Amino acid sequence: MPRASKRKAAPASSSSVTAPPPDQSRSRTAKATSKTRLKESDQIDNLFDTYANSSLGQIDPEGIETLCSDMKVEYTDVRILMLAWKMKAQRQGYFTKDEWQAGMKALKANTLLKLVKALSELKKEAEAPQNFEDFYSFAFKYCLTEEKQKGVDIESTCELLKIVLGYQFRSQVDSLVEYLKVQKDYKVINKDQWMGFLRFCKEISFPDMANYDENQAWPLILDNFVDWKKQKSGGR
Amino acid sequence: MSNQKKRNFQIEAFKHRVVVDPKYADKTWKVLEHAIHEIYNHNASGLSFEELYRNAYNMVLHKFGEKLYSGLVSTMTSHLKEISKSIEAAQGESFLEELNRKWNDHNKALQMIRDILMYMDRTYIPSNHKTPVHELGLNLWRDNIIHSSKIQSRLLNTLLELVHRERTGEVIDRGLMRNIIKMLMDLGSAVYQEDFEKHFLEVSAEFYKVESQKFIECCDCGEYLKKAEKRLNEEIERVTHYLDAKSEIKITSVVEKEMIANHMPRLVHMENSGLVNMLLDDKYEDLGRMYNLFRRVPNGLLTIREVMTSHLRETGKQLVTDPERLKDPVEFVQRLLDEKDKYDSIINKAFSNDKTFQNALTNSFEYFINLNARSPEFISLFVDDKLRKGLKGVSEEDVEIILDKVMMLFRYLQEKDVFEKYYKQHLAKRLLSGKTVSDDAERSLIVKLKTECGYQFTSKLEGMFTDMKTSQDTMQGFYASHPELGEGPTLVVQVLTTGSWPTQPSSTCNLPSEMSALCEKFRSYYLGTHTGRRLSWQTNMGNADMKATFGKGQKHELNVSTYQMCVLMLFNNAERLNYKEIEQATEIPAPELKRCLQSMACVKGKNVLRKEPMSKDIGEEDAFFVNDKFSSKFYKVKIGTVVAQKESEPEKQETRQRVEEDRKPQIEAALVRIMKSRRVLDHNNLISEVTKQLQQRFLPNPTEIKKRIESLIERDFLERDNVDRKLYRYLA
Repeated sequence: MPRASKRKAAPASSSSVTAPPPDQSRSRTAKATSKTRLKESDQIDNLFDTYANSSLGQIDPEGIETLCSDMKVEYTDVRILMLAWKMKAQRQGYFTKDEWQAGMKALKANTLLKLVKALSELKKEAEAPQNFEDFYSFAFKYCLTEEKQKGVDIESTCELLKIVLGYQFRSQVDSLVEYLKVQKDYKVINKDQWMGFLRFCKEISFPDMANYDENQAWPLILDNFVDWKKQKSGGR
Repeated sequence: MSNQKKRNFQIEAFKHRVVVDPKYADKTWKVLEHAIHEIYNHNASGLSFEELYRNAYNMVLHKFGEKLYSGLVSTMTSHLKEISKSIEAAQGESFLEELNRKWNDHNKALQMIRDILMYMDRTYIPSNHKTPVHELGLNLWRDNIIHSSKIQSRLLNTLLELVHRERTGEVIDRGLMRNIIKMLMDLGSAVYQEDFEKHFLEVSAEFYKVESQKFIECCDCGEYLKKAEKRLNEEIERVTHYLDAKSEIKITSVVEKEMIANHMPRLVHMENSGLVNMLLDDKYEDLGRMYNLFRRVPNGLLTIREVMTSHLRETGKQLVTDPERLKDPVEFVQRLLDEKDKYDSIINKAFSNDKTFQNALTNSFEYFINLNARSPEFISLFVDDKLRKGLKGVSEEDVEIILDKVMMLFRYLQEKDVFEKYYKQHLAKRLLSGKTVSDDAERSLIVKLKTECGYQFTSKLEGMFTDMKTSQDTMQGFYASHPELGEGPTLVVQVLTTGSWPTQPSSTCNLPSEMSALCEKFRSYYLGTHTGRRLSWQTNMGNADMKATFGKGQKHELNVSTYQMCVLMLFNNAERLNYKEIEQATEIPAPELKRCLQSMACVKGKNVLRKEPMSKDIGEEDAFFVNDKFSSKFYKVKIGTVVAQKESEPEKQETRQRVEEDRKPQIEAALVRIMKSRRVLDHNNLISEVTKQLQQRFLPNPTEIKKRIESLIERDFLERDNVDRKLYRYLA
């Protein structure tokens, strides 16, 4: 049976998978779409297996690193984070099979090349105003590696801020990062504060911060940040 | 009998035989005219009222009312013109008298004329809308006399001149004034006002403007106010005597404006005699006068209140920040109480207990008492001093008075929880050293605090009293069940419930064997009756009475702290001990041990020990001996210091820190309580609700509240609303 033979023909493990020419897969007739779908999900699975740690049954950090280099994308690129977001990945540095499948299907990518292409679309999607907050929130949660962990340490927070907000809010992020590194009140940042940073960037004019009112419900860390910044730039 | 001619009876109106004699009217009028002349010439006696009345009546009846009326007008007018001349001719003083006389005459004449013409008054005049006779007479008088060019201004000037002279001290004919003024009033309020009152007020304003300027240059505040008051009273009196009562309010306004309102700031701030000086010198009379005068003008009392408040705040601020004063807490608080008494007196005696002033006093005190963060501590120390010795021999009522005054200061405190902390510490020391003058006084104060702050505030304090009582009973039971201990050292134990008493970390201390055995016996006795409890000895809080015999045989009874007792007992078995040895044997922590040795070796009159070298500081290698040469006039010598003292800097910091720590859960509890009942609330309202709930104990810092909110968010008690980030939501 052609079906079976096709299946058998699929390589168990290969590090370089060449995707069939796009046109060919798309030009298949309707009758054969089920075959296509199957083939696609196979490819997704195969792609998964390429990078997964077989004993774990999941893609681990090493696998992700490899994936990144194959895609010619930096490991620390924000798009990887966005990919994790799209996959709704639960654990930083790991992708389960389900997560992988769901993500790839959502991106309509079954090959590496498609995935790479999908990434730039994904960036636009994540940065769209209606989605960005969700992504931003996810980024924080993604960093909570321990079970009952509620906060992310300062170092990591700074890095995360740069990755996630650096493009849109360069100067705010620079100031914030500088402040976070010198202040002594907090050693970890919690979710509430993290979300506060985004709100701050979106709502407060910078660098004058004229419309900041500390009597509003801003997290205390931002009150302190504003005070610090104002003092630094020569007092009120 | 039957009349065939039927006659109809008709009743017809009775017809006069009207004599329409054209000359009739003239003749009649002449009679009347003549009569009017006679009346004005004081010859009325020869006239017949009945005849004149009839003539007037007939004229009106025969439709000659018009003639009669106009005749009246012209006759009267011409008479008045003559009268006017005679008044004008009057010289000097007699001007007013003449006017007055003629006015009286005119009134009498008018009355007679009106009587004569009464029929016309009642019929012709109303139906033809003419002015009634009496009124006519007044109007004519007004127009021809009062408003005559030669009289009008002369009259006014004369009147004003007289008033002025009276103001400068002369005596004038008040009766005459009254009559003239009454005349103006009778002529109508318009006349009174236009022809007299208006000008009177203007001239008075000018007069008082000048006078007030003169006074303010040469008088001090008190004198000026006296003068102002005098003038005011004069004017009121003037009105009663010869002006229209309605003028009173107008003339007093003038005086108030010119003499008081216009000079208020200058008066109040006058150097050496202004409001502040009066307050400082308790010048009740002057202050009372100022109050009564100023309350009449807009913002008068406000001015006094403002100056008083700022002065009070300034003095208060100096009081609480003066380093000299802060050396003695009891003195400090006494000064505050004295200041309060002073102002209570002033408000009572001079400001008629005006509530707004009382409020200003309260606000000022609240302001400056809280400028000094140590006020709560000092007030507690004051109370401590009073309850230890200050109230000795004071009657019960006076005790209550003093305690009530203290409560008043307590009410002003923002940080009542700090007071509570100190009060607890000081109370503990008092109870444990048995140094309270009156149990009743202690309890009375607790009751007052409870009334002020609620049960929670005082429940622990009451627990302390209970513990003391219970311990007494326990001791009795202990000795009753251990009769064999009657011979040895007497142990007195106070069992303190943790939580009611201020927490002290207990430290190590090796009791001498006699004591430790006894303590153990007690422990087993106690735990025998109270299973499940744990006892830990607080050696840092006890004291001991020891009998000591010194080198020359002198005997003394020493009252020392437990630590000191442990040290001294060592010398029963050794002549000489150095610091290290003492430290090892007693295991008392170093700072305490050093203090305790210092108090026994370095203080004159209490130096039961001798130290080598003789320095004040305790060195590791220092050697100690019993001071055989110790002497004191007293048999009983007290060395232990368990008296409450003003805290040192580090202690103060520590207490403050503990207070801050205690506040955190209170803030959180308030937050949870509020959010639980409101479910959703915005930030600013939440802060103000929390502040309101806690203000009885302390004033929470909004930043601190924010921190607690964030902590609650982190622990999933609250969350921020997704849409409106200013709202908080309660998570069940």
